[in-house]
Amino acid sequence: MIKKIFRIANMECPACALRLEGLEDDLPGIQQINASYHKQTLMVAFDETVIREAEIVAAVGKLGYTVRTE
Amino acid sequence: MNIWIAFITGLTAGGISCLAVQGGLLASSLASQLEQDLQPGRTSGPRPPQIARPILFFLLAKLIAHTLLGFLLGLLGSVLQLTAATRAVLLIAIGIFMVGNGLRMLNVHPIFRYFAFQPPSRITRFLRRRAKGGQASSLNAILLGALTIFIPCGVTQSMLALAIGTGSPWEGAAILFAFILGSSPIFFAAIYFAARLGAKLERVFIKVVAVVVLLLGLVSIENGLVLAGSPVSFSRLTRPLFAQLAPPIQPVPNPPANPLLDPADVEQALTPTPVPDGVITLNVLNSGYSPNSQIVPANEDFELHLITQKTYSCARAFVIPGLNIEVMLPETGSVAVDIPAQPAGTVLQYACSMGMYSGELVFK
Repeated sequence: MIKKIFRIANMECPACALRLEGLEDDLPGIQQINASYHKQTLMVAFDETVIREAEIVAAVGKLGYTVRTE
Repeated sequence: MNIWIAFITGLTAGGISCLAVQGGLLASSLASQLEQDLQPGRTSGPRPPQIARPILFFLLAKLIAHTLLGFLLGLLGSVLQLTAATRAVLLIAIGIFMVGNGLRMLNVHPIFRYFAFQPPSRITRFLRRRAKGGQASSLNAILLGALTIFIPCGVTQSMLALAIGTGSPWEGAAILFAFILGSSPIFFAAIYFAARLGAKLERVFIKVVAVVVLLLGLVSIENGLVLAGSPVSFSRLTRPLFAQLAPPIQPVPNPPANPLLDPADVEQALTPTPVPDGVITLNVLNSGYSPNSQIVPANEDFELHLITQKTYSCARAFVIPGLNIEVMLPETGSVAVDIPAQPAGTVLQYACSMGMYSGELVFK
């Protein structure tokens, strides 16, 4: 299992965090997910044999949010 | 007044700001019907009542739940409001919370994000799965509607704070009722037509709400300062200006004999008034106090006669913070308040219990 913290560029309200957390229902292999509006981060613990990081980033993008690359 | 502001806020943008989550929940609950409705090539959707009914039940449950919540918050506010000073602190704290939320919505600085609460993931996960797992039944919609109190959006949070600030269960309930009622038409339309406003339009609405919340917050801080008898408040600093612009004082019909009540003698109010009978009169009107600044003799005890005439506004709840005086006046009548002698130069602020109306006695 991999735990990854993504920085989200345009999480503009607490509702955005809730929408992002909904990804756990849409994507396979997500074991834990936690979005923080205050920190503008999305923590995802996922099974790398089931889903790749790029797929998560793409799913975040589909919801209208941008993953900020460090 | 706050009730109308709550209604207009809900009507203009309250619904939109909460649509992202709550609308999503309901849409998930209605998924089977909506998916059928949106299937490519489908020419006829389900009959309107099949979708309209669960949405209406959702909104009705949301309205009832929030009204009850408003009642409880108002009750909490009334328990907290032991004194005018406590109320003033509460109003200022609520004002700061609202100003912070307004600045957060305007993206002024990341620190303002901490003015918004994010519901715990456990609650949102439960609601989300309930919506997706359940049938699009009216019962499920009612349950989801009632549970939206646990996922308030930013604007709703401000209205919750406003409900506490009323210090009255009924007013708290009325504010939340008005806000949710106002937000319901847009909510209904957006879900019913399965359409979302364009992101740009949505952002404009959010900015409008941000400014409204910001202004409400500033008003709340102002009311708190007035109620605390603070020497620094917008109304006190601008009172001389408004006094010059104000129309002549309209006397209450059949007032007790007092030179201050005669419109022809308004100028006399600007000079120390002899108090031959030891009485100074103040008209308590629906729109505030008249005159709202009068010069009274220093070093003399006198009675301040508060005259109400079909007065229903909060001006009836009369407070002099500096003397710890709080009086609830009758709708029509006269109540005397003893004012002990004060040295020259003293300025006694008075206000209504919400700090919305204010005035001062200047001792010379």
